[in-house]
Amino acid sequence: MVETVKQPIIKVENLNKKFGDLEVLKEINLDIYPGEVVVIIGSSGSGKSTLLRCLNQLETPTGGKIFLEDKQVNTEETNINKVRQELGMVFQQFNLFPHMTVLENIMVSPVSVAGRPKDEVKQKALELLEMVGMSEKKDQYPLMLSGGQQQRVAIARALAMNPKVMLFDEPTSALDPELIGEVLQVMKKLAKDGMTMVVVTHEMGFAREVADRVCFMDNGYIVMDDSPEKVFSDQHDNDRLHSFLRNIG
Amino acid sequence: MQFDITIVFEYIPFLLEAALLTIEISILAILVSIIVGLIIAFFKISKFRILQKISDFYIEMIRGVPLLVQLYVIYFGLPQIGIEFDAFTASVLGLGFYAASYVAEIFRGSIQAIPFGQMEAARSLGMSYFKAMEKVILPQALRHSLPPLGNQFIITLKNSSLCSVITANELMHSTSRFASVNFAFLEFLLVASVIYFVMTFTISKLVNLMERKLSVGERRSL
Repeated sequence: MVETVKQPIIKVENLNKKFGDLEVLKEINLDIYPGEVVVIIGSSGSGKSTLLRCLNQLETPTGGKIFLEDKQVNTEETNINKVRQELGMVFQQFNLFPHMTVLENIMVSPVSVAGRPKDEVKQKALELLEMVGMSEKKDQYPLMLSGGQQQRVAIARALAMNPKVMLFDEPTSALDPELIGEVLQVMKKLAKDGMTMVVVTHEMGFAREVADRVCFMDNGYIVMDDSPEKVFSDQHDNDRLHSFLRNIG
Repeated sequence: MQFDITIVFEYIPFLLEAALLTIEISILAILVSIIVGLIIAFFKISKFRILQKISDFYIEMIRGVPLLVQLYVIYFGLPQIGIEFDAFTASVLGLGFYAASYVAEIFRGSIQAIPFGQMEAARSLGMSYFKAMEKVILPQALRHSLPPLGNQFIITLKNSSLCSVITANELMHSTSRFASVNFAFLEFLLVASVIYFVMTFTISKLVNLMERKLSVGERRSL
């Protein structure tokens, strides 16, 4: 029987990250395969955001290797600006550009960085706005939008670069509870369309429903990396995970 | 002796001509201050210590020595070592480099006031540091620096009156010349004051206008 060996799209080998004397990530190994949704959970300070930010080099790892497909990301020779075009990122605080309209926010990078023709980019931007349900707000400025709306625009902005992987850094943590749903809805749609996603979140419902794998981080280690069924069940004896899940209810 | 404003009237065309020179000197000096100020500000926020030191040195030195002394150095001092400027160029350079030390701090402050997440978001979209500065950081920072910049422009225009001592034939120079010839100081100084005020008030209004134009997307109230 011939089985095609799937190559991971992101490969993390022995990743270490220190802030001064504080070791935030310890010997992290992680493979992410195309089309997978990997959710990273853990208490604050466990290193999950740092891990995500190392993937696109917003943090520079202290040791170890990160590969995107077969290119090593964290070397001097790598053009990090090229790598980042393949890795869309969504932030907790949205970080939309307040001096640009919604449409301009989405178009600025495809036009000025990727050098794609304006008409084509606009077409794509309008499709993405349709997808996140924000078409009507295309000419508004970000600060006039609710947090949930801003985050949906931020997702569209990241998607406009046609990334291979989307990184989500606690995308709903800054939102009022009633606005969380609309953002998760968009993320679910993305997952269903086959986007590779790495999601740091406290939304256990989302992890349970959408994730292919859940990584539980504790004290700088990935202490568990398994299916959501397994992670959210009693079939393991990881006390830290049990108490973490109990505490966040 | 009495106050007789009519004595000024026949000199008004000459005063306006001198005011034109004041405007020219000021505009050029402001341009110099913006360009030099931006460079010094970038030095200051760069991660290279040597550039930071150069920026610190520039700001402290230039800001710490009176403008009058600097104008003297440029116009009367430098020729001794073979560097000569005419009064106009010396005025523009003196005023411009002096104002640049303040403008640099204005730019630095407003660049650093932009939340770091803006830079991160721009970089995460694949923008280089300079592209992110151009598209994301500077447009926001410049908007925030407009009010203090406006102040600095007004100060620079008023400072140009000091250039009278290095023989630049600007408004203050002409004013004092005509005033002493006619022995009518109050009259000429009064008229000069009005002309200065009209110029600074115009700058102030222009800056307000630009602020309004650039304030798109901002919350209207706090």
